Amino acid sequence: MPAKGSRVPRRKKAEKGKKVNIKEKVSEVLDLPKEIVLNIPKLTMVGNSSLIIENYKGVMEYESTRIRVNTGSGIIRIEGGRLTIKGITSENIFIDGDISSIEFIK
Amino acid sequence: MLLLRLWNYIRGYVIIVVEGYFLEKFINICMHRQVFLWDVRKRNDCSMALKVSIKGFKLLRPIVRKTNCRVNIIKKVGFPFILNRYRRRKTFIAGAFIFVILFYLLTSFVWVVDVTGNKNLETRFILDTLAQIGVRPGVLKYAVDADRTANELMLKIKEIGWVGVVVKGTKVKVEVVERVQPPELVHKDVPCDIVAGKDGVVKSIVAKTGQEMVHEGETVTKGQVLISGTVKSKNEQLPPRLVHADGVVKARTWYEKECPVNETIYEKERTGREKEQYSLVLFMKEIGLFHGSIPFKDYEKVEIRKRVSLEEDLTLPFELVIYKYYENIVRERKIDVEEAKKTALDEAYKEVMKEIPAEAEIVKKDSNFKQKENGETVASVTLECIENIGIANEIGGQ
Repeated sequence: MPAKGSRVPRRKKAEKGKKVNIKEKVSEVLDLPKEIVLNIPKLTMVGNSSLIIENYKGVMEYESTRIRVNTGSGIIRIEGGRLTIKGITSENIFIDGDISSIEFIK
Repeated sequence: MLLLRLWNYIRGYVIIVVEGYFLEKFINICMHRQVFLWDVRKRNDCSMALKVSIKGFKLLRPIVRKTNCRVNIIKKVGFPFILNRYRRRKTFIAGAFIFVILFYLLTSFVWVVDVTGNKNLETRFILDTLAQIGVRPGVLKYAVDADRTANELMLKIKEIGWVGVVVKGTKVKVEVVERVQPPELVHKDVPCDIVAGKDGVVKSIVAKTGQEMVHEGETVTKGQVLISGTVKSKNEQLPPRLVHADGVVKARTWYEKECPVNETIYEKERTGREKEQYSLVLFMKEIGLFHGSIPFKDYEKVEIRKRVSLEEDLTLPFELVIYKYYENIVRERKIDVEEAKKTALDEAYKEVMKEIPAEAEIVKKDSNFKQKENGETVASVTLECIENIGIANEIGGQ
């Protein structure tokens, strides 16, 4: 059972991966930016003090120690201290503070 | 980043505190409606401080109602708020406008005409001539054409060799170079004599054309013909030939000056008592401020002018004149005989040097002291020079 149970999700995963692969290939061939074609975020970090997330979907949680941001590739959880949103537009979010960890939650 | 902050300052923004339980939702709706926020800072669990533009703040009201938040303005920052503060002060704005207009008007006139470079010509005369042309204090500066003024001044005053006119600020600067007057020469084709310009003893005479009339060592007086342009022909029957005489006649000349030796000198001294008078000059009209009579019998007057000017060249037509009167007292002082003699000698020497032409060569200096009949001692300086005394003089003319 464990063998069967593990086979089914593996096939699913492979199918999904195929779709992504086509899109990825197209973006590579046409030289288009991946984050736009695949609708995934682009993260830019300077040291551990500032983080820019482009192409995000929304702010899910905002505390001074934790920020959760919803994106195309799941939720990004940023932990740290004295976190502030330095600026926020409909595409970008600038986060400032002492960032200790960034985690992708599927 | 600095540019962005400056831009935000110019546009104006408000710092607000949002209180409520769904702050994330508030942020997301703001983004959805294109209301941009910055410097979002969580204060505690249910309140945050953030900055939003004035335009954005006006759009916040429906969002606030939707998310059940409360909004308080902490601070209004930026240029529009400062402007708003002054909007009600009508007199202030009117004053600012009047100031600008008045300033513009006052600086579009000429208030000072400056003449420099003149040595023999009087400044007053040049200023008067300029006034005739139309350049004087009080005239519109746009009406002053620098090139035309320079040309007309050149035509009006013959003694000027070059004129530079610059209109700078409220000043018209006129720079003058005087023409060196050419000596009055007798034309080469006109027959003339060489006559003595002053008394002297002839040292050497060289005639290029014409006939020598005097010899070396001969004493000549002013006006005497030295080289004649009337040359006698060898043939007695023919009339004499008239030529343009030319030559150099060097002669010894003497210059003498006397100066009395004074053992008592009179010195003016300030007593320390002084009086000040003030005058205000507005648009070239002088207004005296509480001018009383001057209580001193013998005084010295000093004039101090203070002009209101922004730079060196942007003067305004307001002037404060301070007249200072210092009381003087004349004191008699006895000085040493030797010292008095030296002073007198120096004075005499200075006097005599004024008379000697620049090209003359001084060969001998003599000084002595003479006792006059009335008992006065006189310092006398005699200088012996060698100079060209010949002057061309047209035959028949004077």
